[in-house]
Amino acid sequence: MTSKDGGAGYRLALLLILSLAVLALAIAAATAIGDYNIPLATVFHTVTNRLGLTAVELPRIEESVVWNLRLSRGLVAALCGAGLAICGTILQALLRNALAEPFVLGVSAGASTGAVCVIVLGIGAGAVSLSLGAFAGAFAAFAVVALLSNGATSGPNHTILAGVAASQLFNALTAYIVTTSANAQQARNVMFWLLGSFGGVRWPQFQLLGAVVLVGLVVCLLMARKLDAFTFGDEDAAALGIPVASTRLILFAVTALVTAAIVSQVGAIGFVGLVVPHAARFLVGPLHMRLLPAAALLGAVFMVIADIASRVLVTQQTIPIGVVTALVGVPFFAFILYRSRPQS
Amino acid sequence: MKLTTKRAAIGGLLTIAFCGAAVAGPTTYPLEIENCGQTITFDKAPERAVALGQNSAEIMLLLGLQDKMAATAFWPNAVLPDLKEANDTVKLLTVEFPTLESILQEEPDFVAAMLPILLGPDSKVAKRADFADLGIPAYLSPSACTTKLDTGDAYGSRDQLWNMDLVYQEINDMARIFDVQDRGAALIDDFKAREAKLRDEFAKNDDLTFLFWFSSASPADDAYLGGGNGPSGFIAELLGGRNALDTKAEWPTLNWEGIMAADPTVIVAAQVDRNRWDLDKAENKIAFLKSDPTVSQMEAVKKGRIAVIGGAAMNPSIRTLYGAEELGEQIKAMDLSQ
Repeated sequence: MTSKDGGAGYRLALLLILSLAVLALAIAAATAIGDYNIPLATVFHTVTNRLGLTAVELPRIEESVVWNLRLSRGLVAALCGAGLAICGTILQALLRNALAEPFVLGVSAGASTGAVCVIVLGIGAGAVSLSLGAFAGAFAAFAVVALLSNGATSGPNHTILAGVAASQLFNALTAYIVTTSANAQQARNVMFWLLGSFGGVRWPQFQLLGAVVLVGLVVCLLMARKLDAFTFGDEDAAALGIPVASTRLILFAVTALVTAAIVSQVGAIGFVGLVVPHAARFLVGPLHMRLLPAAALLGAVFMVIADIASRVLVTQQTIPIGVVTALVGVPFFAFILYRSRPQS
Repeated sequence: MKLTTKRAAIGGLLTIAFCGAAVAGPTTYPLEIENCGQTITFDKAPERAVALGQNSAEIMLLLGLQDKMAATAFWPNAVLPDLKEANDTVKLLTVEFPTLESILQEEPDFVAAMLPILLGPDSKVAKRADFADLGIPAYLSPSACTTKLDTGDAYGSRDQLWNMDLVYQEINDMARIFDVQDRGAALIDDFKAREAKLRDEFAKNDDLTFLFWFSSASPADDAYLGGGNGPSGFIAELLGGRNALDTKAEWPTLNWEGIMAADPTVIVAAQVDRNRWDLDKAENKIAFLKSDPTVSQMEAVKKGRIAVIGGAAMNPSIRTLYGAEELGEQIKAMDLSQ
């Protein structure tokens, strides 16, 4: 027993260190690769200049591309991957459903409705930006789910069903607003905006998402032991003395906050929240104290690499990030399913 | 709504003021241009302009500025045939959304964009600050910013019929920026003359209605149509008629029963150059109109009153005038009596 635990701990530490190293490498690659041909020395010196380590004279435009476009984008991709993976992990545990992920709860549908309200109806025009509208919509969807599933007390299936209903409701609202009020161009604006993309990312997004994802991760880690109990069922969790309703509500709220923040900044990116937790569970086991950091790191690496691929596969334009995450993620997912099949 | 009217009025006054200035002669630099609530400054005429969006690129090409253009991107339609030769000398980044890096790689000294999704606070391509930080002036088409929102909603439902004034303002702005004001004035004069010629040529005809069919995902789906007060409505009015649809929405969708009820005199089938749906192509539209057992019973179809124009004309752009001319030529040959 002890040797087995020690083995798992060793394995976890190794995985975390390895993932951190791979993540650093991936972000470095994301900073060096792009349409604009920039010598590696310039890339390197841009970063060291900004960190105050060197003071090398550099072309202004190249320095701006490296620092303002590529580095911020790589870091935000990492944050989004980590955030979505955490959300997926939490939801799969809370709802005891292997298919649970943030978008099942209608969060992205709600974000679309919020964005459409701002673009098409001009609600809060000027004062409210698109991102804020999307954020409000995502939270509204969460509120509807909480209401439909009768506060936070009902069972996990109830919540999934409420999520499906909320998705349908908000998708219908979006479609209604677009068909009755929008013109083709606005519809295109909405669609373009909603397709997940890191194209609009600059430093402010990093600050916002960094704070939100960090808070989310810390809260979830603090509740990691309670989450472990949830995987056996609400009644068992209650029997272990865990306040089921309040824990569920807090964790749902954290998930909603992190997902809403991500969707409002970079749009809907599927598959990461679904696949990465399974991959992490496969590698480090089901205990959340290990699972959460592992999932966060794996998600971060996966997203940074997917974003590099989305920029490199076609030059001078970008493939939607969701296309890449699915193309890379599905074979990976199939592999995990195959490996974890029951041995007969 | 009051605010919108007021803004429209101010816009009109500004247009007049700008057009007045156009006669004034060569541009003096530094030049300041008011654009979508921002002031942009030019220290000299641009030498390496990047045009984002078809209309921005075509206006530059019409002004003979291909030597001053470094690259273009975002072309939903093919370039005007007359401009093809000039356009071939300019680098094409992509017909789709370009990346900001690929734009900056051209080392532009000016960027002009057609839509807020190409240049704006919520754009995933570029924001004004991206260029401002590098000292590159960036311009957004006035057609895309004179709206409820200065950034988002470009052409929502209209209370008044769209007209070419904003296009003329954009031409005039470009002419001042590139110091080719004589060419700009000549182009605007030419366009205005062509507009007036059509208006003279086609007498008001209360019975004449046009249905503008942009595209459909499939014959069974609702059709995307050009709405009453948009550029399609402008074309219809210029040719003496009106849009068969009263709706103020710019791009209403309607089922075929509704279209038959509208009973237009002429059906205008758009030739859309993208390759998204079968019915983007005008010939497929016509084949459907003639073969469907119900739709083929419409008066317009039975009497062969089907015209074809470029789909770009139904978007607010220089192409709108070209579309009006194409349609005008075709209805001259038609018997328009019911």
